[in-house]
Formats: sequence, C-alpha cells, structure tokens
Amino acid sequence: MNKRIITLCYRKIIRPNAALPWDKMVHGDSYMEFKMQAQNFSAGTPYTSYAQLLQHFPNAQKLTGMVTPSVTGYVQQLGGILPEILNTLGRRFLRIRSFQFEIINSDINDRDKHVVAINFFSEPLIWHDTINNYLLVSSHNTETPNDEDAEALTELFQLQPYLNIHSVASPQPLSKGEGL
Amino acid sequence: MERKNFLKSLVIGAASASAIIACKKDGVSNTDTSTGTTTTTTGGATTTNGCTVAPDETEGPFPTHTPASYVRSDIRDDRTGYKLTAKLTVVNHNNNCNALSGLLVDIWHCDAAGNYSEYGGTTMQSTNYTSVHFLRGRQTTDSTGTVTFTTIFPGWYSGRATHIHVHIYSASGTSLKVTQIAFPEGANTALVAVNGYSKGMSGYTYNKSDGIFSDDTAGIEIATVTGNTTDGFALSINLAVNA
Repeated sequence: MNKRIITLCYRKIIRPNAALPWDKMVHGDSYMEFKMQAQNFSAGTPYTSYAQLLQHFPNAQKLTGMVTPSVTGYVQQLGGILPEILNTLGRRFLRIRSFQFEIINSDINDRDKHVVAINFFSEPLIWHDTINNYLLVSSHNTETPNDEDAEALTELFQLQPYLNIHSVASPQPLSKGEGL
Repeated sequence: MERKNFLKSLVIGAASASAIIACKKDGVSNTDTSTGTTTTTTGGATTTNGCTVAPDETEGPFPTHTPASYVRSDIRDDRTGYKLTAKLTVVNHNNNCNALSGLLVDIWHCDAAGNYSEYGGTTMQSTNYTSVHFLRGRQTTDSTGTVTFTTIFPGWYSGRATHIHVHIYSASGTSLKVTQIAFPEGANTALVAVNGYSKGMSGYTYNKSDGIFSDDTAGIEIATVTGNTTDGFALSINLAVNA
C-alpha cells in the first residue's frame, strides 16, 4: 500500500473519580486553577458552571488557556511518551509532540462537576500497513529520505476509542534517478 | 484556526460519543452514569472509572505534585525593561490590618511596549512553558503577608495610566480582591524617569483621568516607588482585604 505520514491524537478524559496518581493530580490542580480563574468572569453574577459562563460571557473561552499552565508540569513529567497507547508487546511507544488542554465541564462550587481532557498529538509516523484493526507504523524521520529498500523498525498497535488519526499526508514518491 | 475547529468538533462529538468495544479478559466495562458512555480498557492500557491495567513494562512515570507554571517570583521571561522589584503586603481589614499569610497573589501587567502576554502553551518542544505568559506570576504570602516579584517597570497603552493588576485569593482559591496598583506621578518619580520607554509620554492618561484610578482621591491605590533607571526600581504597597 501507499505509505502515508500520519499524526495521531489521543484524547485522555479525566473525571472526578480518577484513580491514578497522575490523573488525580491533574484533576485536582486543574480544578483549583479553574476555580481561581473562573471567578474573573463569574464575579457579581449568579453563574457558577463553565457552560453558563461560556453562554453569558464569550470571553470565558479564554479559560482553557488560563487553566493550561496548571497541567503543563504534569505533561512534562510524562517524558514525551504517551502512557496509554501500547504496542502489541505491551510497551509504550508513542512520542508526544504537543498537547491541548480542554475543559469539558466544571463548576466553581462543585469539584465533582470538573471533567477535563488532554489531547495528546503524536510525532509524525509512517503508516505502512493495516492488519485487521491494527496499524503498522514507524517513526517518520524527516532528515533521511525514506529509501524504498531500507528496513524500518515498526510498531504494531490497535485502533481504539479516543485515538484518532489527526492528520495525514502523502509524501511525493521519488522520481527515477532522485535520491541515488 | 484549524486546531480550534478540530477541538470544537471534538466537543460536539463528545456529547454523543459512545465507545464500546469487546473486552479482553483483563478488561472491564463500566457505564459512567454521568454521561451514559461506556468505556473499556483496550490493549492493556488504562481507562477511566477506576479500571487500571498496567502496561507490561517497568513502572513509571512517577508523578510528583507540580504547581501551576504561574507560580514564580521572576516573571520577566524574555521581556526587557528597567528592573522592578515589587513587594505587595496583604493585610486583613477585618482584623486591625494584621498581615495575612498563606494567601495566593496573582499579578500581571503589560511589557515596555504596552502589550500583555496571551495565555497559551500547547507545544511540548520548549521546556520553558512559562514564556507563554510573560509578566504574569503567582506567589503565596509569607508570615508577614508579603509577596515579592521581580519584573520590569510596566509600559503604558492608550486610555490607561501605568498599572499592575492584582488578584488575591484565599489558600483554597476563593477570590478575595481584584484590584490594580497605580504609580506616583510628578517630578522625580519613576514614571518620569522611565518616560514611557520608547513611546514617550505624548497622549499618556494620568491617574486623575484614568477610568479606574480617578475616583481614588485619597491615593490608596498608589504604590511607593523608589530607585532609578540604572539600579532599577522598588515598588511597595499594602493591600487590605476582608478575610
């Protein structure tokens, strides 16, 4: 099949009942920051939920960016590897290039309403093949042109909920004589 | 902005998303009552609802508590200007103006050219995430009710006198006071010495004409500012809150 360059997006949703230490810290710290920053919009109004603030104050869209600094330190602690996505050997392999924090629901007075997501975007991958619902990929190294005959080290992983192919590009095939 | 649209589409999709896949024997399927969606473990990874399956490799990463990247004393990042050391002391108006320790104090102001930083920070490439919010910072008041920031003397923009924004919160994040700090004006003041950086002072709005400070006839919002352009300036002000 034709090789394509893809990036993946994994949307990790973090709810109030999160059990893992990392998730708990992200939930707690992002809630504290939401509560603090949201009061810039809610002061003098009866509104306390994120949805109400967005509905009445278009500017409240800025809250996502205002709350992001509360989680950047935790994303850094992942060391650039996404913990959730494993290859068929049960190993983590997916390198994170960037992330985008997202507030799904929240309320200044109710921590149990606070649900957020972190969208992780992967480094570019070469999509070699699809086997059932598994994708065969290798890391896309932009510095060396991908020689048709060269051996690539690949990862096989399963398509799963909350994992999306975020972008796709078809590299120009080498014309005859080029790259020799 | 394509990212924005992408995120919007995510949010719309989230309202109706229902993810159901077959469980492996180490997978558990749970229905989340709050959203009605069903989530499962897949490929041995972890998912929501307290269902945890460890990957088959060495444990880690081990998270440690990390304060928001707003928490810093030096808020200059890459901004240049005359150094300003700002000392803010928070006192309790309800209790003989005694110092209040353990409060969170956020400050933010514009750079020498009169521009504010935007909130942002979505890239993983840079290790210094704080550069996306230059001239914004947070500190916790010490036993004397004081926080200290290292910054630059703020510039100015049309329609406003030079100012620093302050938001004071209780330790649990409840807003106690939103205010602004004004600067002294007249001969021998820092304002005159800085002279609006490269803008000059033509078209400058002075405190008496400023929409925020003009009603402060007693001058309680005006800080004490000493120093010079060579050694930098020192700002100090007491801020009273009802706590």
